[in-house]
Amino acid sequence: MNKSGIVAWRELRERTASRSFLLVTFIGPLLVLGIIYSLFAIGGKTKTHWNVLITDPANIMDHKVMASENKAMTYSFADNYIEVEEFANAKKYRQYDAMVEINEKILGNKSGFVFYREEPSERIRILIRYQMERRLEEVMVGQFTNLDINKFRQIKQPVTFAFRNAYDPKGESPVVQGWVGFVFGALIFLFIFLFGMTILRSVTREKANRVIEVLLASIRPNQLMLGKITGIGISALLQMLVWILVIGSGLYLMRETLFPDFGDAANMDLMQAATARGDSYAERYFSAVEYNEFVELIYNRIRFGIMLFYFVLFFVVAYLFYGAFFVSIGASMGSESDGQQFVFPLILLFLLGLYAGYHTVYYPTDELTTWMQYLPFTAPMVSMVRLSMGYRVGTEYELYLSLFILLVSALGMLALSNRVFTNGVLQFGHRLRVRHIVRWMKKN
Amino acid sequence: MLEIQNISRSFYRNRALEDVSFSVREGEIFGLLGPNGAGKTTLIRIINQIIEPDTGVVRFRKDLMNRRHLSQIGYLPEERGLYKTMTVQGHAEFLGKLRGMSARDIRKNLNYWLEHFSIEDWRKKRIEELSKGMAQKVQFICTVLHQPELLILDEPFSGFDPINTELIRKELIRMRNDGKTIILSSHNMRSVEEICDRVVLIDRARKVMEGRVSELREAGRTGHFKVQFRGNMIAFVNALWIGFELVDKEILADDRFIATVAVRGESSFDDLLKTLIGQVRIEAAWEELPSMEQLFIRKINEGKESEHE
Repeated sequence: MNKSGIVAWRELRERTASRSFLLVTFIGPLLVLGIIYSLFAIGGKTKTHWNVLITDPANIMDHKVMASENKAMTYSFADNYIEVEEFANAKKYRQYDAMVEINEKILGNKSGFVFYREEPSERIRILIRYQMERRLEEVMVGQFTNLDINKFRQIKQPVTFAFRNAYDPKGESPVVQGWVGFVFGALIFLFIFLFGMTILRSVTREKANRVIEVLLASIRPNQLMLGKITGIGISALLQMLVWILVIGSGLYLMRETLFPDFGDAANMDLMQAATARGDSYAERYFSAVEYNEFVELIYNRIRFGIMLFYFVLFFVVAYLFYGAFFVSIGASMGSESDGQQFVFPLILLFLLGLYAGYHTVYYPTDELTTWMQYLPFTAPMVSMVRLSMGYRVGTEYELYLSLFILLVSALGMLALSNRVFTNGVLQFGHRLRVRHIVRWMKKN
Repeated sequence: MLEIQNISRSFYRNRALEDVSFSVREGEIFGLLGPNGAGKTTLIRIINQIIEPDTGVVRFRKDLMNRRHLSQIGYLPEERGLYKTMTVQGHAEFLGKLRGMSARDIRKNLNYWLEHFSIEDWRKKRIEELSKGMAQKVQFICTVLHQPELLILDEPFSGFDPINTELIRKELIRMRNDGKTIILSSHNMRSVEEICDRVVLIDRARKVMEGRVSELREAGRTGHFKVQFRGNMIAFVNALWIGFELVDKEILADDRFIATVAVRGESSFDDLLKTLIGQVRIEAAWEELPSMEQLFIRKINEGKESEHE
């Protein structure tokens, strides 16, 4: 094993033996799985059953709502008028979640009220509104026209023009997928920051306890620096691998055990079928009450294979790029507490990366996004977002170019940080200034 | 063994070493002396290839020094450290591998040293569990583990209690007798005087003195003699004639003294003894040679005075 390898192996063993590493490695993905489970469970909350009381003293609706029943709603009718206060407080109405007030003027003024106990979800609102409107429509068509209700609806249907992306004619909501890429990019930054700080602390600790001088009598500064970056980087990769394995297995187990109906085509395809038919928003909601968009996103729309491949690739190169900054700051510090303020600009760069991701989600092809994709500081985030949204045919080269520029920048930064490391790592007791770093950078 | 030839090194505007040359012979203990900031650590780092000189060269057994030679050097810096969470064995394995040792040799040599110092039960202990003195011993073991031909020790006795200081001192003498060469940088002049064969003194980036310890002390003689006697001090002073002068006295008892006498002009030590015999009872008499500490201080002060002028 060469000397860098020996240092890398020591760093790797030290990290993997620490309790905090093991905790983050195994508890971290379980937490993520917990969050995903919560999102699944929250998504499933639209199944909550609602008991709705319709007060219809004029019997306008004729005790009917819809031809087809819906599992989410149960309607009951009252032929008398009920005061809101009475509904809210009387024991006999406690079983109802909401009260729909249909008065005799509704066919004229076309407005009614729904009084609820707990704030209904958007889906429940749409359902109630949709079902009431449809039933009243039937009544009105029957009273005021001689038309068949289906004919009336055909005529009533407005002519709509849907705006669709020519490269995405099915309108598969790239924004949602973009956020998935954003999460991948944010994870890259999170891991780089966590392990970058590990590099910084490792170098400053060796400076503080002077073990660095013993090491440098046996190993070149650049070998030591590379060994450190490599060892800590491998521990980061190892941790990520465990995350991927645990989260991947967890998602699989969830689908197979806790939520077996996620894979049921009868549930999953309803929404897509409704979309293909060109149904209205409300109809889509109505026909696919069981539909959970987050589930579909996780299991059907993320191309995990390709995303993970580029995720690892961008992480490795971006880690080398940012790692060079952290190792330079660590080597330049005069004491363990000195120089922390130099981490602040790096945090700003990470925030810039997050902004770049946000911008890319909404403007994936504009000029600023293109520039940010080639800027090494933001490239990992922008590339992950764009990858998740899909590159247009003929523009895939942008991904490769971005990766290439990042790689060249990483090598350049490593060369510069090697100078700072060599010249700064044996300087002790000073207060770090920018001029120190610049001076050490210039010196061979 | 090692030749330092015209080494100069600056750190921006600060001159750390200026045209320093000396040589270290095979199988000797060589003292590298100098006040704080004189340039000793810079010189040691240059020898260890940690930094490069601006001008000048270092030769190791006549070859230009390069990184290949580092496996034959053991270096114990003044401010040395260990990884607190690593075990003694883990440390030895890590540093041994960096110096090109095989796992088998590391184990064998570590066993030897742990047995030699009777500390076998420390093997699995983490460094943070050891006292400062214990950690110093581990550092010493790690320095000599690869059986280097040249040992460079920067303040090796600092932090040791007298018993461990003596232990290390004896160990260094044993290694010298086994043919190893040792460069010792220390402020502990007693140790330097006792175990160094030759020394070099560096002050303000320049070499100011070099030679065998005994020769340097001889060269620094001041013409003062010590006489330990029983009798009357007044009688002692009255016995001294014009060629002698009492410089100092030390009272050992009511009638027992050590007098320091300066010998002037043509007078000699023999003349002094002849003068005193019969006047007081002489117990011992010897020429006062400056200690290495006195020489060190004298040279440093001379340098300061010449700088002021």
